Amino acid sequence: MQFEPDEDQRAVLDGLEQLLGALDLEAPKEGALSAFSRTLDQQLADSGFLQVAREPGFSLLEAALLVERIARTPVSAEAAASALVLPLLDPEVARPLALGNQITAPARFLPHARTMLVDNGEDVLLVEVDAGNVEPVETLFAYPYGRLRRTQDLRIRALGPTMATPLRRRWRLAIAVEGAGLMQAALDEVLEHVKTRHQFGRPIGSFQVVQHRLAMTAATASAARWLALRAAWSDDEADCAIAATYVQDAIPRLTYDLHQFCGAMGLTLEFRLHLWTYRLKALLGELGGSSAQARTAATRAWSPARQ
Amino acid sequence: MEFGWSEAQVAYRQQVRELLKATLPADWDEIAVHGPGSQAQTEFSKGFCRYLSEQGLLVPHWPREFGGAAGQPWDHFILGEELWAAGEPRGPQYMNVNWIGPVLMRYGTPDQQKRFLPPIVTGSVIWCQGFSEPSAGSDLASLRTRAERVDGGYVVNGSKVWTSYARLADHCFLLARTGDKGKGGIVILLTPMSAPGIRVKQIPALIGEGDIHEVFFTDVFVAEENRLGAEGQAWEMITYALQNERIGIPRYAFSRRVLDRAIAKLQTEGRFTDPILQDRAGRALALCEAARLMVYKVVDERANARPPSAFGNLARWAVIQADHAVNDFLTEYLPEGLLGADPLQQAHHQRAIAAGIASGAAEIQLNLAARRYLELPSEAPRAV
Repeated sequence: MQFEPDEDQRAVLDGLEQLLGALDLEAPKEGALSAFSRTLDQQLADSGFLQVAREPGFSLLEAALLVERIARTPVSAEAAASALVLPLLDPEVARPLALGNQITAPARFLPHARTMLVDNGEDVLLVEVDAGNVEPVETLFAYPYGRLRRTQDLRIRALGPTMATPLRRRWRLAIAVEGAGLMQAALDEVLEHVKTRHQFGRPIGSFQVVQHRLAMTAATASAARWLALRAAWSDDEADCAIAATYVQDAIPRLTYDLHQFCGAMGLTLEFRLHLWTYRLKALLGELGGSSAQARTAATRAWSPARQ
Repeated sequence: MEFGWSEAQVAYRQQVRELLKATLPADWDEIAVHGPGSQAQTEFSKGFCRYLSEQGLLVPHWPREFGGAAGQPWDHFILGEELWAAGEPRGPQYMNVNWIGPVLMRYGTPDQQKRFLPPIVTGSVIWCQGFSEPSAGSDLASLRTRAERVDGGYVVNGSKVWTSYARLADHCFLLARTGDKGKGGIVILLTPMSAPGIRVKQIPALIGEGDIHEVFFTDVFVAEENRLGAEGQAWEMITYALQNERIGIPRYAFSRRVLDRAIAKLQTEGRFTDPILQDRAGRALALCEAARLMVYKVVDERANARPPSAFGNLARWAVIQADHAVNDFLTEYLPEGLLGADPLQQAHHQRAIAAGIASGAAEIQLNLAARRYLELPSEAPRAV
């Protein structure tokens, strides 16, 4: 048991910090809500960070540490699926990767994706994505969303229903890790605000009612992170479902509180809180939402095979 | 970073489990139902702690010079997890080994260490904690019990309340006021509960037999040699004591155990197929595991010899949430457990309802986390 990163993990994280530090990661004040950064997305791929789980001596845990950090940036990039789900597949499968439950439904990152992985409940399908066949979907969720314009003549490879369990496990892990990073970034943004914004002659953050809810939020964000990192370390069905349950369960309360403390300012795009809260809200409904994850956590943790 | 146990830690946990299996009687759940302060559990704890001591498992984390084995923080914590999950057969003595002993080691005189530590090491003494008063609960610094200086010591007058284990205790770790208001005017007196002028009244409570008392001090003489540290130094020592308690009790371990038992029962009854029940169980499970990892993070700080941080306050909050989530799940889906069918469930219920109140209220934990961990500005005092 060791909660601090070791030397190798620190080196990987330092490398990522260098990459992030060299880029302008401020989201544009105007324009798409998604704040998708092609530059970051491409540099993450070129640098090899997203393939870290495939590297000898490294594991999903290092990948998770990177994804959690990337999720805290104001811009979006397709990192979680590439770093945590894609290692299940052949190395030649192209990224960015979009995950979905139906071929026809809108999916995150689809406007930039080269591959879509679809778990339709009966089979897992690998769909090659032609950029010209993707129609962007306008949404408040702060990710790029798109849907396929036509579904005939697609290049689809069926991976078989046995892929469903590992895919869903890693998808839950991706939700948990990315969600944990988003929660921490949203909290950090609001902490800065409540320390400097004065009402009734004093900082908002000095009111006990605000302090308690922010302390609870801090506990939630921390617990989400440790559950997600442990799940990445174990790659265990129950651990991944527990981590995703915790994150999705906490999203409504956490996003409500954080917006509440920013008042109307938090409803403006200029304020940028939505960059994290509206990504969290996008994660809320993935893979059937918190109830689906909770039921999976329960049935996996207490499965007869485990006892 | 990694989240596994070493082979030695796995073996240590197994050793503790085997000891518990071999030592706890068949009717242990019945003995434990009334809580660590009950006559039955306290009586049991005396023999059990003596045996733990003989096996080197009562104070393994203490330094060798005081009778310990200079064990690793993780081993001490594994021991605490297993014992609490088993219903805390150490009874009130968990307090002795976790913080009373360590405070005496740090601040006690050689004479005090010689008198008070060996009985803790052998598991033959019960202490109670004379902190809260009728007008000083969470606001501990407002305590009013007076200790007047007299020849050779102090005369104490006042009262304490909510005092766990007082009826059976040999000594009281007593806070009293020698000076003016505030944190600076407090003294700690290691007071024999047999001293003339002490009267203990048990207060019937929801949380179990013998857990809550009122203790009255009328002209109680305490010798100067029983003063811990200097007058006015008490707050520093209390802070140190609470740091030793900073992760509190590993309550989530007991919660997880009773949750596992409940699910096994629901599976046997064929009820675990209900998706709503699964949903609720999964959420309670997530909160238990969240609490576990938050507390492990604090233990990790200690294991790496880092100074105590305010993360412990966040961990305490997570532990409270887990206790209540499991308790609510059990009360909703297995209410018969509180109708005489399951002593262990009742014992868990009685501990869970105190989780956010005992040893520093949940709201105090949130206050501390807000100020120290999030560094939020203080609330200006209101004009009266």
